[in-house]
Parts: sequence; C-alpha cells; structure tokens
Amino acid sequence: MSMSFVIETTDLSRTYKSYRRQEGAWNALKGFFSRQYEFKTALKPTTVRIEPGQIVGLVGANGAGKTTLLKILSGLIFPTSGDVSVLGYKPYERKAEFLRQISILLGQKAQLWWDLPAADSFNLLSNIYSLDQVQAKKDWLMLADRLGCTDQLHTQLRRLSLGERMKMEIIGSLLHRPRILFLDEPTIGLDVLAQSTIRTFLLEYVKEHKPTIILTSHYMDDISRLADRLLLISQGAIVYDGKVENFVRHAEANLNLNLSGEDIDFEQVIHKFFEKESRGSKIGRPLAT
Amino acid sequence: MAVHSQLEYRVNFAIDVLIQPVLSTTIEVTLWMAILTGMGSDTLGGFGREAYLAYALWSTFVGRITTNWMYEFTMIEDIDSGKVNSILVRPISFYEFYLSQFVGYKTICVAMSLVLPLIATYIFKAPLIIERIPLMLASLLYYLVFIHTVSFCVACFAFFISKAQSFTAMKNLAIWILAGELIPLDLYPEPLKSILIHSPFASGVYIPVGYIVGRIDTPLMLQSFVSITLGLACAGALASLLWWRGLKAYTGTGA
Repeated sequence: MSMSFVIETTDLSRTYKSYRRQEGAWNALKGFFSRQYEFKTALKPTTVRIEPGQIVGLVGANGAGKTTLLKILSGLIFPTSGDVSVLGYKPYERKAEFLRQISILLGQKAQLWWDLPAADSFNLLSNIYSLDQVQAKKDWLMLADRLGCTDQLHTQLRRLSLGERMKMEIIGSLLHRPRILFLDEPTIGLDVLAQSTIRTFLLEYVKEHKPTIILTSHYMDDISRLADRLLLISQGAIVYDGKVENFVRHAEANLNLNLSGEDIDFEQVIHKFFEKESRGSKIGRPLAT
Repeated sequence: MAVHSQLEYRVNFAIDVLIQPVLSTTIEVTLWMAILTGMGSDTLGGFGREAYLAYALWSTFVGRITTNWMYEFTMIEDIDSGKVNSILVRPISFYEFYLSQFVGYKTICVAMSLVLPLIATYIFKAPLIIERIPLMLASLLYYLVFIHTVSFCVACFAFFISKAQSFTAMKNLAIWILAGELIPLDLYPEPLKSILIHSPFASGVYIPVGYIVGRIDTPLMLQSFVSITLGLACAGALASLLWWRGLKAYTGTGA
C-alpha cells in the first residue's frame, strides 16, 4: 500500500453473526437447544484512500455501516475480509506505536474513568501514553480553558452533565496529539450551545494541529462546517465520495433524488436521501469525483 | 487508579476491608470450634484446637486477599457492555490494566486489614510464626498474578457468551475448596491431598496460612512458587489464546 495515504482500504468488509429467534416462551425453549444464526453484512467490500490532514465526514443512516468502518480503522474490531492500512499499520494488530498515533471518540460511550475526576483520568492517560507529565498538564489545562470546563476538572466524571463530560472526553482524546482522530458522533445529545462550542473548538484545533479526522455525525452542521470531504454510506456501501460543497449539485443527477425547482441546502438533501433510503428505494450508482 | 477509585466510596471500602473480614473470621472460628467441641476431642488430623483457631483466623484474611471476583466481574462487564473499547484503542493491555488495579487494591487491603488477624491472634494466643510473614506476603503477591490470569481467562468468555458471570461463581466455589479455605488440605485423603497441595491453588490459602501458623515447613512453601509458576504458564497460554480468539469475535459492542 502507498504511504502517501494515511488510511487505505481495499475491498474491506465486515459481516456480523447474530442469533435469531421468534417471540414466545416455546420458541425461547426451542432456542435453548437449537439456535438459528443469521449473517448480516454491515460493510460491503469498500475501497477508500484518505490523505494526511483531510477531514472526512462519514454520513449515513443508522446501521448504514459507518461506525463499523470506524471501528475497523481504529483497531476495535477485525475485518471479515479485505486489506486495511492506517499509518502503515494493520489496526487490528493493535501495535502500541499505532495506538499512540490515533484516537477515537465515541459520543455514545464514556472512555474516561467514571469514578475519577477528569484531572485524575488525564494524569493516568499521560502515563499510558508516556507523555511528559508537566507538559501534559499544561496541555489539558489549556484545552479545558478553551472548552470552558476548567471548573469541572476535579469533579467525578459520573457527576458531570453530558455536555461537560463530552468536553472532558474530547480533551482526553487529544492529550497525546493524535495524527488520526476518529470522531463518532461527538455532539450527539448535546444542546445547541454545547454543539457550537465543540464545533468551534474542533475547527481551531484542526487549524493548529492539522490531524486527519474521520467524523461521523447525524448533525449535518457538524459535517458542513468541519469536513472537506464527504463519504456517504448506504447499506454498507459508499455511494458518494467527494467534496461537501459538490454534493448538492451532484445529488440529483447521481443519487436519483428529485430536487427540481427546490432551493435546498446540504442538510435538506441528506434528509431527502435518508428518507428515500428508509423507503427502500434503490440508491443511485456509486459516485467517484 | 484502584486506590483513587476505591477511596471515592469510603463506606464500601470500610465494609470491604474491615467489617466483612471480621464477620467472616467470626463465622469460620465459630464453625471450627463447634466441630471440635462436637467431636468431643481436642485434636483433628493431628492438630489441636489452637492450630484450627489460628488457621481459621488467618484463612479468612488470606482468602479475602486472594479472591478476585470484583475485578473479574468488572472485566466481564467491560467486555459485555463494550467499555473495553476505551482500553483497546489505547497503548495499554487489558490484562495489565486490571492486574495493576487488582494488585494495587489488594495491597491497600493488606495494609489496612492485616492488623485484624494480628490482634485476634494476640487475644486468643493462637500460634503464629511472625518472622514468616514477609515470605508469606511475597507468595501472596505472586499468587495474585496467577489468580488474575485465571480471572482474565474467565472474563474472555464474555467475548463469546453473554452473562459470563456464572463462570465466576463456579470458579470461586471451586477455588474455595481447592485453596483450602473451607477445609485445610491436609485433612483430605491421599492421593487427593498430595494433588491439591501441589496445585497452584493451594498457594491461595492453605500454604501461606499453614506456613505462618506452623502447619507446614519452608520447603513446601518454596515449592509453592514453582507450582504458581507452572500454573501461571498454563493460564497465560490459555489467556492469550482466548483473548485473540475473543477479539476476532468481538463486535465493538455499544459503539
């Protein structure tokens, strides 16, 4: 694989196996002795190449396969088939040198330690990443100041509000200055003000440190403000790969969306796309840009 | 981290480190005294009342130190709920992460509750060879690594099945007997007695307690380090196999 790309996948796919049973007590008893399994392809063979410093918005409906792709790229899960290389490493081997250069923020999952104040978690993370303790403390104090959460640094994580906790999670994910940052719905469930604070913070951080970012979000404001490349994923396959600003122009022609005469923006087009997808319509041919 | 986490919950910590050991020691002492009184004899298996009193006092203390249901449950819960993700994406191993917490927590437990059996031993004038305590503590520390590895194996089943906690209950019951916490291992008939005494689990209670109360001699104590090493090698190989198989089956739950 070429080293000019920080992320490179070739025919990468993932299939999940799950147990299926009909409702009712009798079927529960039957299922105890004989189980029926089904296989669901969450990610169809996918080939993607991402250059250093790009901010890629990964957009799709629930179950479209975006989190599965993110989990494979960050080394959380093994792929079923295909090749994957992130910074020249196979993520699923979970080499320490690889893990020191990436970070993943899961908006729906706390990654700091629930029983500890964030400050203690940051000190622990500094040790885990073998950072200089003094510099790391300066860094997390500075990040907390920019996110406006300095007063909450010494409060146990479980006692923070969702917005405060998410800010702490962001600090924790940036402490070791990752080269690649996977952000899975970083603003989910937050109020408008907290969303805006986090977006503004991320924009400034990106300008300063220029990490490669893969961002998934159901808030199209996140994507339109932060991402410079859009990957639209539908039913496990990428159906659009190109610039965010070109998406609206190309949507009608290539994704079978009828937008004639309408003056609509990116978010509305995405909503129309999801609506069409949920009705089971066939999505247009995959787009190359 | 274990220190910080545990000290956040002062009441739980006090109950775990002070109140529970007192209760379980009281039960164990009462049980053995009742058995000896019921038998109408002052000796059982060649050991007198004081020997059983000393064994009961120290076996509950050591048994509580070497048991590992709490972090085993946490590891299972982490895998089951997907909380393990936060470890998997960081340059630290899940095994080491919980080993350091387990050993850290147990060190505090020893430091804070060692005074209880010492006071009880003084009050009841039970036999104790105090100069043997440092080697006993060293063997306990080594045993903690072994028992954590066993717990890690059990936790890895959570990758394949839901509610793997039932394995913990089963394993703890087995170790309760194999370690000699319930009955000193020298009371079992041969060849079971020799097999149990030479298994690594004997180092969980019987050997360290027997050593400080004068029930066993130094060669058997030293041999227990060999047993633990062999057990650690076997459990480590199994843990590695289960971990990598588990990761292949893992679906990144909850993310």
